Amino acid sequence: MTLAAAFLVPGSPLPYLRKDNPPWLGLAAGYEKAARALAAARPDVVLLYSTQWMAVLDQLWQERPRLQGLHVDENWYEFGELPFDLSIDTELAQACIENANALGLHSKGVDYDAFPIDTGTIVASKSLDPEGTRRFVLAANNLYHDFETTRRIATIAGEAASTQGKRFAAVGVGGLSGTIFREEIDIADDRIASDEDDRWNRRMLSLLEKGETQEVDRQCAEYVQAAKVDMGFKHLAWIQGATGGRYYGARIHAYGPTYGAGAAVVEFKV
Amino acid sequence: MAKGEILAGYLAPHPPHLVYGENPPQNEPKSEGGWEPLRWAYEHARESLDRLEPDVLLVHSPHWITQLGHHFLGVDKLSGKSVDPIFPNLFRYTFALDVDVELAEACCEKARARGLVAKMMRNPKFRVDYGTITTLHMIRPQWDIPVVGISANNSPYYLTTEEGLEEMDLLGKATREAIEETGRRAVLLASNTLSHFHFQEEPPLPEDMSREHPFSHEGYRWDMRIIELLRQGRTDEVFDILPQFIEEAFAEVKSGAFTWMFAAMGYPKLPGKLHGYGTVIGTGNAVMEWNLAEAGMARAEAAA
Repeated sequence: MTLAAAFLVPGSPLPYLRKDNPPWLGLAAGYEKAARALAAARPDVVLLYSTQWMAVLDQLWQERPRLQGLHVDENWYEFGELPFDLSIDTELAQACIENANALGLHSKGVDYDAFPIDTGTIVASKSLDPEGTRRFVLAANNLYHDFETTRRIATIAGEAASTQGKRFAAVGVGGLSGTIFREEIDIADDRIASDEDDRWNRRMLSLLEKGETQEVDRQCAEYVQAAKVDMGFKHLAWIQGATGGRYYGARIHAYGPTYGAGAAVVEFKV
Repeated sequence: MAKGEILAGYLAPHPPHLVYGENPPQNEPKSEGGWEPLRWAYEHARESLDRLEPDVLLVHSPHWITQLGHHFLGVDKLSGKSVDPIFPNLFRYTFALDVDVELAEACCEKARARGLVAKMMRNPKFRVDYGTITTLHMIRPQWDIPVVGISANNSPYYLTTEEGLEEMDLLGKATREAIEETGRRAVLLASNTLSHFHFQEEPPLPEDMSREHPFSHEGYRWDMRIIELLRQGRTDEVFDILPQFIEEAFAEVKSGAFTWMFAAMGYPKLPGKLHGYGTVIGTGNAVMEWNLAEAGMARAEAAA
């Protein structure tokens, strides 16, 4: 397997659109470190899974060679717009679809003008690849897929990249603790919504940092429930599957709040 | 200014399959038809709406999901191409709509006055969600009536179902006050499916109706129970069992539109007119109407 790099990154547009807001400075800076690490890893393709690209029928994969447009986030439209220009490795996406279908995981490609690209995909791709030089494989988050199914799908993607002789980076896009403030706050005062969420986030990040993969697996379900983790932490399943579990620790480039929810930029040591 | 009134409310679900089955010029994909009973139900609703001649249509959609409060479209004109992220093979629709910004602002202000977090969406490049567009197309394909678009805060998902629906009750009452004070003759659209368990694979030909049926007997039974109560005007009983319905049938009314609409109408004990029922990928969909104008209940004090 030609694994070049792996990252867990947030999909919230807040640190991306308002890099100057003090509570979000760290996340923005963390993204910059991750971007440098990705550039140094020189992957041929980035396998990206965003919790915000939601599907309910089949496992969807993006198959349009080039995605261009401008997105306005459904929640945070007042902070600005999100232009995007992404290149897709359609040959690899097609292999992912075929291999997943062969294993009984119903998959299909999407290739449509004006298809709505989700905020998480745009934020992560633009932050990690600001020059727009990388090619991507984009996979949807089927809401009915559990952690293990997501891991299997990611394994298929990683193996397909290896079969095609491509160095790849795996990127899981999503948040940590999922509780946001339900009242308007001064964004300069943003913080993790509760001490318990904060403790859980730090505990999980510490386990990832030390490479205690068995302990991560053991505590994951409890963490998901206790901290209402974004989409059941399936973005970690994506990392585990795509890398084949071959990482021995992680660098936590940043940890911070996104309107109360937890977010981190994590680079895995592969 | 004359006091405004709510002329009618419609349960107006938004499966994009209905637009696909109809083959309007705005939608790129073309079909061999399908889901006719539901589309014919909407034809009846369209005729009824036409007779009401409302100033504005207010639609609450579960597919504009907002995490922080209840949001209202706040731009005069919005247009674009809406591609359904779930069913892009069925729904790629070019739309243009006019927003009744004055009424939207009034709704927003009234909601805030009742203690809700409410915001106006002012970005002209905003992408209107496909739930809003599908419901509006199905009820009024001419697009010649201004709209107020309202997001789903999905508070029932963050809070308990009961707490979340209490928020929707407040939002509905705020909406009614805004309609009355701005003098609008308004129609409300609750863009909700009933039972919401669905198949997870699509037939090769999506409009192959030999593959369409209720996802489960239990879901169908729940839908019939709710519809029958609504047809008899037993509104109190519906809201008594609504949390159980939501829990057991995974009903989409959890997202709040149904409660919002009934709260705005004053929970009338008016028999609902069922225009039709049908399933879409197994989910239960009813097109229903509560014609307050026809029943002499359009004024809020009469409905309350």
